[in-house]
Amino acid sequence: MEQLYKQSEVVNDLLARYGVKFGIYKNGNFKEQLFPFDAIPRVITKEEFNYLERGLSQRVRALNCFLKDIYAEKKIVKDGVLPEEFLYASSGYLAECESIMPPKGIYSHISGIDLVQSKDGTWYVLEDNLRVPSGASYPMIARELCRRSSPGTFMENKVCDNRNYASLLKQVMDYSNTGGINVIMTPGRYNAAYFEHSYLAEKTGSVLVCGSDLFVEGDHLYYRDYTGKKIQVGAVYRRISDEYLDPMTFKEESVIGVPNIMKVYKKGNVALINAPGNGIADDKGIYYFVPKMIQYYLGEESVLNNASTYLPFYQKDMEYVLENFDKLVIKDVAEAGGYGVVFGSSFTKEKKEDFIELLKREPRRFIAQEVIDFIDIDIMEGDQQVPRKADLRAFVLTGEDTYVWKSGLTRFSRNPDSFIVNSSQGGGFKDTWVLSQ
Amino acid sequence: MGTITVEKANELFWLGRYAERVYTTLREFFIGFDRMIEAEEAYIEYCKIVDVPNVYESKREFLEKYPFDTENPDSILSNLYRAYDNALVLRDEIHTETLSYIQLSIYDMKKARVSIAPLIEMQKVIDNLLAFWGSVDDKVDEEKTRSIIKLGRRVERIDLYLRFRMSCDKLKTEKNKLEKRIVRTGLKYDESKLCELSSMIDSGEILLNQAIALIESLVEV
Repeated sequence: MEQLYKQSEVVNDLLARYGVKFGIYKNGNFKEQLFPFDAIPRVITKEEFNYLERGLSQRVRALNCFLKDIYAEKKIVKDGVLPEEFLYASSGYLAECESIMPPKGIYSHISGIDLVQSKDGTWYVLEDNLRVPSGASYPMIARELCRRSSPGTFMENKVCDNRNYASLLKQVMDYSNTGGINVIMTPGRYNAAYFEHSYLAEKTGSVLVCGSDLFVEGDHLYYRDYTGKKIQVGAVYRRISDEYLDPMTFKEESVIGVPNIMKVYKKGNVALINAPGNGIADDKGIYYFVPKMIQYYLGEESVLNNASTYLPFYQKDMEYVLENFDKLVIKDVAEAGGYGVVFGSSFTKEKKEDFIELLKREPRRFIAQEVIDFIDIDIMEGDQQVPRKADLRAFVLTGEDTYVWKSGLTRFSRNPDSFIVNSSQGGGFKDTWVLSQ
Repeated sequence: MGTITVEKANELFWLGRYAERVYTTLREFFIGFDRMIEAEEAYIEYCKIVDVPNVYESKREFLEKYPFDTENPDSILSNLYRAYDNALVLRDEIHTETLSYIQLSIYDMKKARVSIAPLIEMQKVIDNLLAFWGSVDDKVDEEKTRSIIKLGRRVERIDLYLRFRMSCDKLKTEKNKLEKRIVRTGLKYDESKLCELSSMIDSGEILLNQAIALIESLVEV
């Protein structure tokens, strides 16, 4: 493995060569940045992965059941498991998606589940990302380049090949496809994840499109080629947010969507991957209820743990949060990407008082969690190995079956004092090895 | 893949044009640079030939700025960035490997800017661009897609060869290649303009401005 560590710079040079970047807006200016890669992998043993696989698959199956239920009968609300307030007050709930059954009944085709491992070895789920989770392409290409840079490392270590992600994704797209070509729909090259959009299009053999390349005619969605020929589209792996997808249904000012695409979707004539409306299931407030969902829909105990979470919405939890404010981490349910996360201990007295006022005024807007002292993973800093906080985004793909990808995106904080690992906030990434024996 | 929109056809065409513009301009720059080692005023003539506004006060300023100045849309690096802008949105068509040669060209051009021997680094840019074309042949399976990029290359080369007042033999060779390529693209083009340009080149009686106007407006993308 030492040989691989020494090749860190070589791998980063190769990543630069292949344009493995992400876009970031700073002070209104767009900038492309390389995503710093650290060659020391996160290693997950076969046994540990078997456990994670069971838990992740279970979680995503339950979340898919939840979405199917919530946009139809809402039994979970009627049976009192989920308070109505958490459904209708969520910005992720889209009334426009009521009674729509997606092709093959799949809502979350690609789920990105964020986990951390505490120092006692316990894994905790921090977040479920069921809208447009990104990141799989980075470990996929990094593995290719690591194998090229240090073949001996992979001869000595039995690591499951993760370069099958694109073929798994293609299988998912093909399975849901209602007839026609597969496309990956991007907001454009100035999107933060544009590298991933274009790379996955290349690797899945899909056509990379912008909204303006597609149009609806009758009850079908089409793509027009440069000779004027129209080609039916059967599956859209869309990498734009729900609200911009269709100006006739959602934000009318959207210029990156496709007018009337929701009409085609409603008729069952195109698969949208992931389904619109999934935001309700990855709402940070709904997260609290996932173990209950697993029990409710699957009749099973949750294999994976949630971080201990409190909903100030409940009086009892509010009291706990106020009493233990300094040792909790508070999250704004409407924020993502590491934003809207504050540690109680970081407030000044005045700021704390203001925040508590806000919390009391808008209790549904926040959740509070116990701080998990999650493990550090070493990174290379020059010639030195230094410990840094790292999380794991696991990818679960749902087509004919639910499949947990034998890898994942490990993100780490480059700042020794920070728990925030997001790339938009300066974090880097690692490959995630799942050992095959 | 192989199913491309009008916009992508346009990007493919311009990728070919800009990649070629950088390549041929660099080749000419090599010749010009060599001359400028001794000749103080040779850059003035060079600007005239390549149709670049002479905003430089000295040979030194020209050599330092003209290739690398991103504020100047005529600089070699600006043209390289335009090739990159087109290539970046075509990854799914041209493949990551092909795109990487444009990316590498940018890195090498930046190294040239700070090098005491910029031509050595620029030689790498030329090598990258040759590899880029090799990769286009190797990786882009769809003939029409490949042909559109190559048509861009042919159009740009004729345009530049005209501006550089290259020999009729060279122009004839390029024009013959263009005639074979253009029909394979599926793009609309003006046959009468192609005929006019062709007979001008074949006869050796080239009216420069007219010929440039013909090549510039030949293809509808």
